[in-house]
Amino acid sequence: MSDGQAQTETMITEDEELSESHGHDSEPRLPMTGVRVLDLGTFLAGPHAASVLGEFGAEVLKIEHPIAGDPMRRFGTSTKRHDATLAWLSEARNRKSVTIDLRQREGVQLFLKLVAKADVLIENFRPGTMEEWGLGWPVLSETNPRLIFLRVSGYGQTGPYRRRSGFAHIAHAFGGLSYLAGFPGETPVVPGTVPFGDYFSGLYGAIGIMMALRHRDKTGRGQIIDIAIYESVFRQLDEIAASYGLFGKVREREGSGSFVAVPHGHFRTQDDKWVAIACTTDKMFERLAEAMEQPELASSALYGQQLKRLAARSEVNQIVIEWVGSLPREEVLNRCLACEVPVGKLNSIADIFEDEHFQARGNLVKLEEPGLGEVVIPGVVPTLSATPGRITNLGPPLGNATYEIMRELLELSADEIKRLRQRKII
Amino acid sequence: MTSKTDEDALPLSGIRVIDVATVIAAPYCAGILGEFGAEVLKVEHPIGGDICRKYGTPTQRGDTLAWLSEARNKKSVTIDLHRREGVEIFKRLVEKADVLCENFRPGTLEKWDLSWDVLHEINPSLIMLRVTGYGQTGPYKDRPGFARIAHAVGGIAYLSGMPKGTPVTPGSTTLGDYLTGLYGCLGVLMALRYREQTGIGQYIDAALYETVFRCTDELASAYAMFGMVRERHGPTHNDFACPYGHFPTKEEGKWVAIACATDKLFARLAEAMGRPELASSSLYGEQKTRLENRHDVNEIVRDWCGSLTRDEVLKRCYATGAPAGPLNNIADIFGDRQFHARRNLVSIDVEDLGETVIVPSVIPRLSETPGKIRHLGPRLGEHTDAVLTELLGMNQEEIGELRKKRVI
Repeated sequence: MSDGQAQTETMITEDEELSESHGHDSEPRLPMTGVRVLDLGTFLAGPHAASVLGEFGAEVLKIEHPIAGDPMRRFGTSTKRHDATLAWLSEARNRKSVTIDLRQREGVQLFLKLVAKADVLIENFRPGTMEEWGLGWPVLSETNPRLIFLRVSGYGQTGPYRRRSGFAHIAHAFGGLSYLAGFPGETPVVPGTVPFGDYFSGLYGAIGIMMALRHRDKTGRGQIIDIAIYESVFRQLDEIAASYGLFGKVREREGSGSFVAVPHGHFRTQDDKWVAIACTTDKMFERLAEAMEQPELASSALYGQQLKRLAARSEVNQIVIEWVGSLPREEVLNRCLACEVPVGKLNSIADIFEDEHFQARGNLVKLEEPGLGEVVIPGVVPTLSATPGRITNLGPPLGNATYEIMRELLELSADEIKRLRQRKII
Repeated sequence: MTSKTDEDALPLSGIRVIDVATVIAAPYCAGILGEFGAEVLKVEHPIGGDICRKYGTPTQRGDTLAWLSEARNKKSVTIDLHRREGVEIFKRLVEKADVLCENFRPGTLEKWDLSWDVLHEINPSLIMLRVTGYGQTGPYKDRPGFARIAHAVGGIAYLSGMPKGTPVTPGSTTLGDYLTGLYGCLGVLMALRYREQTGIGQYIDAALYETVFRCTDELASAYAMFGMVRERHGPTHNDFACPYGHFPTKEEGKWVAIACATDKLFARLAEAMGRPELASSSLYGEQKTRLENRHDVNEIVRDWCGSLTRDEVLKRCYATGAPAGPLNNIADIFGDRQFHARRNLVSIDVEDLGETVIVPSVIPRLSETPGKIRHLGPRLGEHTDAVLTELLGMNQEEIGELRKKRVI
């Protein structure tokens, strides 16, 4: 968007906001209102950034190949809609789909026209791919000097491994997280879910975009944000680097526990269910000892201090294992909660759907999708008091907004659009 | 609130953040803002300070390595909020701040007369990040929460571990803290943008369990539509794609990760294995066929990986572009060329420790305005005098009096 357009847009929206208070039904102003994002990414890592911005008011155009579309459309559980898995429906929320073939010269020209009218461009091809299509940064920033360009890749835009293909699953391994998941000396397991790191990268990317928008507001200049998925995983490993650097300590798999505190882990209840207990501080352990009706355990002569508990890890864990194992899950939870011990159920998705807190917070959002019925997806995070985000639509059908965008935004004639379609450029 | 300094060029120059939170989640938000130019005042209790100072491996200075790394760029100011005078000083700081990060249990700030209503009146453009285990509303809002509990409640812990075995920590017990810090930070940045356009401040309510749950792809959708309850999958995850998991190599304890999300990527793996016929349509060329025959496909990949050293498996995968990588431990990471080329490990001198501490560098990487680590976690109260003098205009006598009364 050019300066002039942005200002006009702001003024219009402010007018709308004024009339809004007088019962006008247009959408209230959101933090990202007036920001146009082109999401050229695939799967999740770049696209999650676009999703969050979209939830808070940005217009997100998903640019896809005219025939194949985003492979995310086929990743996950199939639905009756042939171009949408459930993962696609949830994670392509709030988008409009526009098809353009960037492997064709004319497609690239068309795409640059969109770039000229955009604020943010998101991509996650292997480094070098955009350049092969004639869409390197010099071309993009010449087309639109205000453009903010988020580039997500497995290993980043620089360094010896930049051309390697990367997924979150690989990044979890390369970034040091997977090595830590599992029991000591045993099989390293998937740390929760395979696309976890994609979300991290999307979040760092979105934060980068917000920073870059601030910088652009001051200077008028856009910039590049370079996110490596493995880096966003590695950044979250607290002091692992510091303690290897200083003490040569190689952290190993910790089973259901943690090196920082005891008891801090997962415990099986009498009815063969699981709870998590986290005594991060001495005070928390004191409360647990009280809940277990063994307050003497928290005395300084016994296990009152974290250092003593860490030294006597297996004894302390054994006491908790026995206590938790002697009671049904509800009883463990009730006794712990009565003493304000940090405790929680290990929820399966079935547990989550029954949980009153998830219901009360509106975490499970139900949307009607034509031909599919009700689809349940996670709600918007975080919750903003004055400008809460919203979900306008689920992952769109392939190319659902191609005509609208070509006609209204790029002002192409109907004939021209027809010609582009015939030649499979759009 | 803008003061001309050499940090002026950064996106958050001139923004003042008060971080009155503890451990990692909300403080991590302040940490990111600080890396990109914000001035971060860490307000701590005069005795002991933030419990993050004791979280992790202690150094000779007393503070842990986790503190040194994650309290980067912050100034430590001690104020006892249990004391009336402390609350008054805190309010004066809030008056001069843009962002406040807190993670007390709901009701705590209210008890100290520091509710949102009070703070919003003092400073109508204030943005407040409130991080808790369960959020500011709902039946569990008063329960204590840590990331460990949030992983459990949010559904991630249940999914980590061997099938039917003990659920394990999903790699690291503080993941949910970082995740919440990220969503919180995004919320703060959006609120700042909205404030610049309207002048209106607001608060952000971030629950640890919600940020975890938000990252569970189609877990909820598949349960709602098909009644599918996802279980623990051990080292492989074949709900969506196959082969997709961890495979042992010939070398004891050295594993590789392989992720064939699409048919094209499987074809590259088959080529790397020297068996391109596996990717033919009559065999395992299609994802659907591979998922139906996951046991056989995983077995083929396991046999191949098990016959070679880790480096050899990776070399062959990289040659054909098959998506593979090593399961690095921290020693592997320190020896890795990519980590070095990207400068992911930065060494920072900590003067009063007499040591160099290695910490992860700034993420995200911005081309025009890269973030900075100016110093690591400060000593408790290191900046109390400077902040009270320069920002609140107190004199030495007043400060001395407050200190004697242990308000600061």
